[in-house]
Amino acid sequence: MKRRELLAALAAAPLAACTRDNRPRLNVYNWSAYIDPAMLARFGRERGVRIRYGTYESNEEMLAKVMTGNSGWDVVFPTHSRLVPMARAGLLAPLRGTRLPSLGNLDARFRAPVWDPDLRLGVPYMWNATGIVYNRAELHRRGTPEPRDWADLWNPALSGRLTMLDDPEDVIGACLQKLGYPFGSTDAGQLAAAKAEAVRQKPLLRAYINAEVRDQLVAGDVLAAQLWSTTASQAIHAEPKLSFAYPAGGFPLYCDCAAILRESARVELAHEFLEFLLLPDVAAANARVGETATANAAARTGVADPVLYPDDATYQRGTWPTALASVDQRYRDRLWTEIKSA
Amino acid sequence: MNLRRIFLFPARVWMALFFAAPLAIVCGYSFLTRGEYGGVEQPWTFENFTRLADPLYLAILWRSVRIAALATGLCVALGFPLALFIARAGKRRNLYLQLVLLPFWTSFLVRTYAWLFILRDTGLVNTVLQSLHIIDAPLQLLYNEGAVLAGLVYNFLPFFVLPMYATLERLDPALLEAAADLGARPLATLRRVIIPVSMPGIVAGAVLVFIPCLGAYLTPDLLGGGKTVMLGNLVQNQFTTARDWPFGSAASLVLMLASALLLAGLMRSRVRKELM
Repeated sequence: MKRRELLAALAAAPLAACTRDNRPRLNVYNWSAYIDPAMLARFGRERGVRIRYGTYESNEEMLAKVMTGNSGWDVVFPTHSRLVPMARAGLLAPLRGTRLPSLGNLDARFRAPVWDPDLRLGVPYMWNATGIVYNRAELHRRGTPEPRDWADLWNPALSGRLTMLDDPEDVIGACLQKLGYPFGSTDAGQLAAAKAEAVRQKPLLRAYINAEVRDQLVAGDVLAAQLWSTTASQAIHAEPKLSFAYPAGGFPLYCDCAAILRESARVELAHEFLEFLLLPDVAAANARVGETATANAAARTGVADPVLYPDDATYQRGTWPTALASVDQRYRDRLWTEIKSA
Repeated sequence: MNLRRIFLFPARVWMALFFAAPLAIVCGYSFLTRGEYGGVEQPWTFENFTRLADPLYLAILWRSVRIAALATGLCVALGFPLALFIARAGKRRNLYLQLVLLPFWTSFLVRTYAWLFILRDTGLVNTVLQSLHIIDAPLQLLYNEGAVLAGLVYNFLPFFVLPMYATLERLDPALLEAAADLGARPLATLRRVIIPVSMPGIVAGAVLVFIPCLGAYLTPDLLGGGKTVMLGNLVQNQFTTARDWPFGSAASLVLMLASALLLAGLMRSRVRKELM
């Protein structure tokens, strides 16, 4: 009898160690450097929950994981254009507005966005645009006019000191807009013309490069770059000689949205988390840490940053790209490979 | 005999789970159709392979082979004298070998990033050359094929030096004495004795450099500025922005096949007898 008790106790000991923390756990999968860790801790403390937090670097990385419908994540942050495809693939749990009383804190631009007018799929979180960042002082010294539109990135005076993003959507999109065509065109003739523009521009380019260009902008190696407004804003904070232009003829806008996965077994808790993210002080802390533009107007009071937050007239020139159909995506990838191989 | 099985069991399971199974998945994917937003779907098709025969992709294959061959050639040219020097360095051999291996103490990514700081306009090379008044304006050292080659050679040189050293170290000194006795000058000894005898080491080292260079994608991306596409970049792009997993799988299978054929060719050649 004694021995049996001992055995039972031995068997129970590791089990007890495992189940000591039986608070509910919320699994949040977000872009890297996109949240204030202190806010995560605060949510956990206030609601008595544990949070498992993971980060990703691209929508594709996130999609590859959640597509199985068994990824173990509850909340993800897809870019707006991925919401509808994800919903169509049955990956998203519909949001319940009644559970999100602070939706009213959102900026008017994001209360009924074109991609999700009823906010059923995702809560707009952070947003940015693609535009042109340039070294104002150095261009002035050289007598080169400041870039105002995509076409100015074909100026031979910038040769060797100019970069474009390493992203087919943005590069081909800018070429299309330079020619006066829509950013998301699927017309073969327009795309062929855009590709020709990109090939014509390539000899002027230093590189196709993403956020890493920031250091070279600050150091003065690069004089003009196609870049996201958030990265540009970070570079401008480090080097005030840099400026940002929202292209005159149009530019793309992107918004990352907090969404709940259908596979989630904690939809209630996930709604609480989304509501928490909408609180003005939480949203403000997250925007500060991420150095990005928040979609939350209540969090933004007093912040006047024309790079992160363009005025209405500028904002109206922007377009929200939609996801391309498989066949169009494939054609664009071919053009991109041709551009890169040229 | 059973003992042998028992000891082999962990390695078998490991290889089955982490080599054979993933390879089988890649094979399977390469015959499927791309999903609308990533992933794979029915029906089965050969189309991913026929697509690779396109001149656009053949040019990428050729470019990859050319750059990998150039990098291998440079590694041989730099690594052979270095290995010979180390093999003859006496007591300091171990120190020099440690120095060759030193870069491996940091990650591949960090080492490649370091080259950005060496080669960029306001980087080490340009700063030194400008302060010595050798050049007036910074040279464009970064984001071209030269930078990609520098990165590849730097990262893969130890893969050549180590097998080369192993071969040269075992070189029988009596052979060199015999050559000298027969009146061969040092250069003739090198050309007619050392190089032929150490050929298996040269080939082994060259293969170890060539194959990873052929599939490189990080170096061309970071140091080439995304302006050149190698096969590795094509594969990577299919799994990210292009969201075409089947085509990416097919391209990576072709890459593997090219490497395997190269190895098989070497195994069949005379070199094998010498290696054994």
